[in-house]
Amino acid sequence: MKRVSLFVVLVVVLSTLLTACGGGTTSSDKIRIALILPSTIDDMAWSQSMYEGILAIQEELGMDKVDFEYSESLGNPVDAGAAIREYADKGFNIIIAHGSQYQSVLDEVAPDYPEVSFAYGTGYQSHDNIFAYDPQAQEGAYLHGMMAGLMTQSNIVGIVGPVEAGDAIKYNYGFQQGVEAVNPDVDVRIAYTGSFGDIPKAAELAKAHMDAGADFLTGTAQQVVGAITAVKERDGVYWLSNDMDQSPLAPDAVLSAQTYDWVKVLKQIIEYRENGTMGGEHLSLSLANGEIKMVYNPNVEGNVPQDVKDAVEEAKQQIIKGELEVALPD
Amino acid sequence: MIDQLLQTHIIIGVLATGVRLSTPFLLAALGEMFTQRSGVFNLGVEGIMLMGAFSGFWVTLVTGTPMLGILAAIIVGALMGLLMAFVSVTMQAKQGISGIGLYMLGWGLAGFLFRITVGYVTSVEGFRPIAIPILSDIPILGTVLFNHNWMVYFSLLLVPISWVVLFKTTWGLKVRAVGVTPEAADTLGVSVRGIRYACVVIGSIMAGLAGAFLTLGHTNMYGDNLTAGRGFIAVALVYFGRWNPWGILAGSLFFSIVDALQLWVQVLGLDIPYEFAVMAPYVLTVVALAAVSGRIWEPAALGKPFDREA
Amino acid sequence: MDQREFANRRIQHMEMCDITKQFPGVLANNQVCIDVRAGEVLALLGENGAGKSTLMKILYGLYRPDAGEIRINDQTVPLHSPNDAIAQGIGMVHQHFMLVPTLTVVENIVLGLPSSKGIFLDLDVAAKRITELSQKYGLQVDPWAYVWQLSVGEQQRVEILKVLYRGADLLILDEPTAVLTPQEVDELIPTLEEMTRMGHSIIFITHKLREVMAISNKVTVLRNGQVIDTLATADTNQEALARMMVGRELLKEYDKAQVTLGETVLEVKSLCAKDDKGLPALKKVTFEVRAGEILGVAGVSGNGQRELADVIAGLQQATSGQVIIAGKDVTNKLPAYVIDAGMGYIPEDRLHTGTIPSFSISENVILKDNARPPIARGPFLDFEEIARYSKRLVQEFAVKTPTLETQVGNLSGGNIQKLILAREISREPAFLLAAQPTRGLDVGAMEYVHQRLLEQRAAGKGILLVSEELDEIFKLADRIAVIYEGQIMDILSIDQADREHLGLLMAGVTQAAD
Repeated sequence: MKRVSLFVVLVVVLSTLLTACGGGTTSSDKIRIALILPSTIDDMAWSQSMYEGILAIQEELGMDKVDFEYSESLGNPVDAGAAIREYADKGFNIIIAHGSQYQSVLDEVAPDYPEVSFAYGTGYQSHDNIFAYDPQAQEGAYLHGMMAGLMTQSNIVGIVGPVEAGDAIKYNYGFQQGVEAVNPDVDVRIAYTGSFGDIPKAAELAKAHMDAGADFLTGTAQQVVGAITAVKERDGVYWLSNDMDQSPLAPDAVLSAQTYDWVKVLKQIIEYRENGTMGGEHLSLSLANGEIKMVYNPNVEGNVPQDVKDAVEEAKQQIIKGELEVALPD
Repeated sequence: MIDQLLQTHIIIGVLATGVRLSTPFLLAALGEMFTQRSGVFNLGVEGIMLMGAFSGFWVTLVTGTPMLGILAAIIVGALMGLLMAFVSVTMQAKQGISGIGLYMLGWGLAGFLFRITVGYVTSVEGFRPIAIPILSDIPILGTVLFNHNWMVYFSLLLVPISWVVLFKTTWGLKVRAVGVTPEAADTLGVSVRGIRYACVVIGSIMAGLAGAFLTLGHTNMYGDNLTAGRGFIAVALVYFGRWNPWGILAGSLFFSIVDALQLWVQVLGLDIPYEFAVMAPYVLTVVALAAVSGRIWEPAALGKPFDREA
Repeated sequence: MDQREFANRRIQHMEMCDITKQFPGVLANNQVCIDVRAGEVLALLGENGAGKSTLMKILYGLYRPDAGEIRINDQTVPLHSPNDAIAQGIGMVHQHFMLVPTLTVVENIVLGLPSSKGIFLDLDVAAKRITELSQKYGLQVDPWAYVWQLSVGEQQRVEILKVLYRGADLLILDEPTAVLTPQEVDELIPTLEEMTRMGHSIIFITHKLREVMAISNKVTVLRNGQVIDTLATADTNQEALARMMVGRELLKEYDKAQVTLGETVLEVKSLCAKDDKGLPALKKVTFEVRAGEILGVAGVSGNGQRELADVIAGLQQATSGQVIIAGKDVTNKLPAYVIDAGMGYIPEDRLHTGTIPSFSISENVILKDNARPPIARGPFLDFEEIARYSKRLVQEFAVKTPTLETQVGNLSGGNIQKLILAREISREPAFLLAAQPTRGLDVGAMEYVHQRLLEQRAAGKGILLVSEELDEIFKLADRIAVIYEGQIMDILSIDQADREHLGLLMAGVTQAAD
């Protein structure tokens, strides 16, 4: 049995080596950022957007000023908790747990490390040394809903959702309001795969939506890359992307993207820390503060009629000015 | 609500989706059936699928030829099968644990290799559906069964082939004997190790193909943990199918069609809470499993290493 | 003798010469020589551990000898695997049947053989040949039946057919009668005669003297890995063989003390229980055991004996009926309750049910008493007392062990059984349940166990003896209950019982002819 346990140990060690990457030196005047991700740094969605944001900060402030390590595929909050403690013990100052599911584990860990700032999102409950960041995803979703509502030929649009929770509910609710505002005849069909990372299932769900007549699709979570690839293979169907600009995946099918400016959020956190605030702030990302951006895919931007563009732009300005408030579910 | 579902094009959609979804289960479960029939319990199917999915994807991305990707998945599957066979047959390790080890190895290694070779989400040109002449023109059935890519046909074809191999050949007889009473087979000069090695490798190759189907015949892309537990479901389907190819076909289709149905129920906006819809294939499979339960069909030597001197 | 068949046999003379095989710590075979000719039955007689099975496994290519050679028709043959042995015309019928229960008879027989249809099975052709062989040798069996459906006797026929189908000229039969009823043994004898008439040679492994006399032409006696003697069966007798086998005189019959029967210590009333598969294993079993008597439960293995013992001991639930020990109803009570009611238990599986193999002798001795004085003082164990107590038992019951701290798993079967006897008997139970108490023990240890059980009987204990060895039951029991498919067929007093009648009862045949 000795040999067996050795084998298992080897495998475990190997797989942990593979999931925990990075490295760095200890130095007190540095900003040391650790990132906990539910999926991977190349998921072309939520996780990758934050990862790239931190790389940009590192670039901007100088590689010698910012230390950065990350751990991927920690969808399970218990495993994440262990990684968070480890980073805290290693002397990281800012630990970002990039998902709403990490709220309770941070509540538990944070009091033990008062000199460390923790951050998580989507969320709004913060404590002395926890920042909660909160993208107002419903705002961009509303604009996407308008595009879909105004441009759909079949009057059917489909949503490829992960599980009915937090971010997805927010996005879907905003999207529905946008469609409703411009075209009440459209049938918005919401379906969930029951998973965040089941790429084949997301692809199959997108196919079912399209077979059932949908010509505009949207959705959240890392699994949507499967849906986008499925959309790419059909003509006349568009995808509206979220979290990141996903147009490289389907240059002719992704129409527009709602993206988050994590650099600004990170700078806010760093600034707070420099002023002695370790946490306790609710950091909202919105169109108004410029931390949410809407970008058309230049390849297909020409397919968007000018009046649609105008209507969307007008609504966007109204949201920014506060004249139009996109409701959130209770 | 039901009449919404009973429209022809929706029925066709559900069934065609179900057949397509069943392919990875069918490939992996038929392979695992051979493995288990020989008395080895390989819980590492998921890890092998991930490695097959990655290697098929990467080789196709580099060469542009999906058939080479399939070849890569076969080779990688065989290698992982040899590793599993070495650990469980030669070293006589606890098979449940070494299977979990293989799963973790496959998961970690596939993710790591993807990171260093590709490192971003991209897609490849996978296999296209081939409509089978004449047959694909049959109403309903044509679209449901005869308008898929070759891997779907191949997996369906493997059902009768597996059945013939298992029940009608001298080799299949040895497999069945080795999985129940290896000492009896041993006394008749049957190489217990040889049969088990062969079956573990065959099972692993088929798991590799199941993974490659996901990347080359279904989603045309690779992503972390792409298989999302399908390998474990395949292992469960072997039990469901009572180690019989037809039973496994029934189980794979049942699970996949219920899964397809629940997707369509959601897509059509029928008034069923999505949680119930998503759970449906699992719950119904468990119910079906309980209804046909009884372990009398399980190969009696399953999971037990064989040692002549013991 | 069939001259034509006889001449066809490839093995006219087989010799094993100076075979030596060493296992870690055991010299299993020491310069052993045996030989057998076409048409001969050689009985290989010896106790457990005498080296019979090792020798035969060498002949069948399963083990390699450290020294010595095997000659067939005066040619040295290398036998490195069962395949080599089969190719030379050697076949083996193992004591534990080597059959795949989920396969049919024909599938079991052709397993591993090439087919006339290439990679595909040719079961129809094979079934025809099997039927021919069955008729030729008088081994009736349905080729298309599944092995799990067959009786033990039929399974043995399949084993023999399997060997004949492979063209074996020399058959090794490893304790072939151990699992058979007396009637089935009687049926086997003509088959063996038929085979020798056709020129097959047979090596018959056994430790039963009666069978040696009935079946063999020649007998080789093994003891401690060495050949004691080889002689013609006609020139010897059972007593002489027994002496050679054990190395000393054996008691021919035990002295049974005259005991006046006392109160009822065990009462079983209409007891029903199910087996592991949920099928009925005990059907309305009723009997009683009184103080000062031994009630033997006879039957072929697997007819409900294990369930009966387990239910009485509280290890398994009864579905209905009652078990009363020394006046206390213990039906479906926990084992501790049953023990306290006054039961001592010598279980069938002595290594796992009877002891904890990884525990020391002392620890095993106090298993049942660890919570009460004098073993326990309050919540603590009194180690001095434990040492004293276990030392006394080990001496009294002649358990051979290096120390009291030795793990029980390292002791021999006989010594483990002595230890269990020591523990159970010294607790002075009113009722003792002994399940297969001598299975796998050598003759010396067996005699010891028997004497101890008779002592307990003389001391006024009631004993239920569950055994598959008819000889044992005849030697010890006062009354015999025959169990068949979970039912008590009849309860006979020892002077009414004869082997033939019991054999019929054990096969489920009631005296309809009377």
